[in-house]
Amino acid sequence: MASLNPALSTLPLAAPRRRAWRRRIFDACGWGLCGLAFLCLGAATVWILATVVLHGLGALNWKMITQGTVGTGGGLMNAIEGTLILALGGIALALPPGLAAGIYLAEFDTGWLAPVIRFFSDVLVGVPSIVIGYFGYVTLVEDLGWGFSAAAGGIALAIIALPYITRGSEMAIRQVPREMRDAAYALGASDSRVVMSITVPLALPGVLTGVLLALAIAVGETAPLLYTAGWSNFLWNGHLIQEPVGYLTYAIWAFITEPFASAHALAYAAALLVTGFVLVISIFARLALDENTGWRRRMRG
Amino acid sequence: MNPTSLPPALHFTPPAAANRVEPGRPVIGVRGLDFFYGPAQVLFGIELQVREREILALIGPSGCGKSTFLRCLNRMNDTIPGAHARGLVEIDGHNIYAPHTNVIGLRRKVGMIFQRSNPFPFSIAENVAYGLKINGLAKNRSERMARIESSLRAAGLWDEVKDRLNKPALSLSGGQQQRLCIARALAIEPEILLMDEPASALDPITTTRIEELALELKTRYTIVIVTHNLQQAARISDRTSFFLMGRVVETDSTQRMFTNPSRKETEDYITGRFG
Repeated sequence: MASLNPALSTLPLAAPRRRAWRRRIFDACGWGLCGLAFLCLGAATVWILATVVLHGLGALNWKMITQGTVGTGGGLMNAIEGTLILALGGIALALPPGLAAGIYLAEFDTGWLAPVIRFFSDVLVGVPSIVIGYFGYVTLVEDLGWGFSAAAGGIALAIIALPYITRGSEMAIRQVPREMRDAAYALGASDSRVVMSITVPLALPGVLTGVLLALAIAVGETAPLLYTAGWSNFLWNGHLIQEPVGYLTYAIWAFITEPFASAHALAYAAALLVTGFVLVISIFARLALDENTGWRRRMRG
Repeated sequence: MNPTSLPPALHFTPPAAANRVEPGRPVIGVRGLDFFYGPAQVLFGIELQVREREILALIGPSGCGKSTFLRCLNRMNDTIPGAHARGLVEIDGHNIYAPHTNVIGLRRKVGMIFQRSNPFPFSIAENVAYGLKINGLAKNRSERMARIESSLRAAGLWDEVKDRLNKPALSLSGGQQQRLCIARALAIEPEILLMDEPASALDPITTTRIEELALELKTRYTIVIVTHNLQQAARISDRTSFFLMGRVVETDSTQRMFTNPSRKETEDYITGRFG
C-alpha cells in the first residue's frame, strides 16, 4: 500500500540501535520505579490491613459487640456507642459553622476577613491533635468543670473536624458554575436565596465528601479524646457533662499494652471496628458521590 | 436595483417585514450612561430608547460593550466586584440606578436569556417553577402547574416536554434547553426580555426556532437582543443599534440601518469591512 504522504514513506521506522537501547533502559527504569512505589504502598496497606483483620477476626464475636467492658475483658458495646456519639456529635457541632464559613469564603470573598478565616483554618489543620486534647482538658474539663464528658470530647472532635468541613465546603461551592448563580439572580433571587436554593444544593455532594472525610478523621482520633472524654465501662446515660464515655481508639491505646489475653482481644477487635468504620465511610462516599453512580448522575439525566 | 451592486450582507430580504408593528411608547430610556469595571471605563455616554413591544438589536464587534450594556438594564453587573454605573437608566419612568432601587423587583420585570443556556440541574418543571417559588407567585399546586404549562407553551416547548416534566432539564437538547430558559424567564411574567446572543451556541435550524420564538414573544414583550449575527438582527429586529468601542454610533430602524446607514462606521461594519 502506497503511503498518502510521500515524506512519511521515507521516515526511518527503526531508530539507530544505540538510541533504541538507551530508550529501553530508561523505559525499564521507569517501570521499575513505578513497580517499587506500588509495592511499597501496596505492601504497607496490605500488611496493616492483614494484621488488623487477622487479629481482629479472632477476637471479634457476638459478645464483643453486645456487652460492655468489664475490667480488662468483656465487650466493646460501650466503646462502639461512645465512638458513634462523639464522632457524630462532633460533626453535628462543626457542620453549621464549617458550612457557613465555606459559603462565606466561596461566595463573599471580597473583604479582608476571608483571607484571615482561611489562614486560621489552615493553622487549625496543622495544630497537633494532642494539643487540642490538652486545650479541651484545661478549658472544658478543668476550668468549666465539665469533667471527662461527651460534651468535652464532642467539642474537641468538632475543632478537629471544623477546618476539613470548611475547606471541603468552600471548594465544592466554588465549583458551582457562575451561570447557575446568574440564572438565579436574573430571576430576581436575593443573595441568600441564591445561596440556599442554588449554590448549596448544587454543591451538596462535594460538601458531603468533606463531611465524610471529617467523620472518618473523627472516628479515628485518639489524642483529643484522651483528656476530654475519659473512659467508661458502661453505656452512656445521656448526661452531657460529668459523665465519661468510652470509645474504640481508647480501647486500642489502653488494652494492647496490658499483659492479659482478654485485654488484647479488646484492642484487636476495637482496631478492626475502627478500621472497618473508616473503610465503610470512604467506600460509601465513593459510591454515593461518584460521577457515574451517585446522585450527581440523577441530576444530569 | 441590481442585487450584485449590494454589499454581501444585504443579499436577502427581511422576511419579518409583515410582523413589524408601529413603535409603542418608550419603556427604557438611557441617558448619558457611563459604565466602569473598576478604573476601566467600558461604556461612554450611551443614549438609547427602547419602545414597547419592539425588538431592538444591539450589534457591534466583540468587546464593544453591547453585552455590558445589556447587563446594565437589569443590573446584573452588580454581581461583578468593582463594577459601577453613572448616568440615567429609566425603566417605566423609574431610574433603576437610584439609591434604594428594588433590584429584585427590577429583575422580575426585566428577564434575561443568556448566551449559554443555563438550566438548573433540576427537573424541567422545577426549572420553570424556580422563579415562581422564589418570588412567591403561585399560591397552590394547580396555579403553579398552570403557569408552568403556559410558560412552556409560550416558549414553544410544551408539546415536546409535557410527558416528561419531571425528567432532568439537562437531558434536553441544546435548543430545548435554551427554550426552557426562555420559559423559565417568562414564568414570572416580565415586561422586558434581554437576550444575550441567545442562539450563538445553537445550530442553524434551532437558531431559526429561537428567532421565530422571539418574533412571537414580541407581541407581548419588549425585547432587547445582542447578536453577532447581522442577518439575525435584520430578520427579527425592528430597530438596530450599532455599538463601537463603548459608544452608540447609530440607532435606527433596522430597514434603514441595513440599506442606508447614515454613518460611515456603520456601513463599514455591516458590509463586513471590519468586525
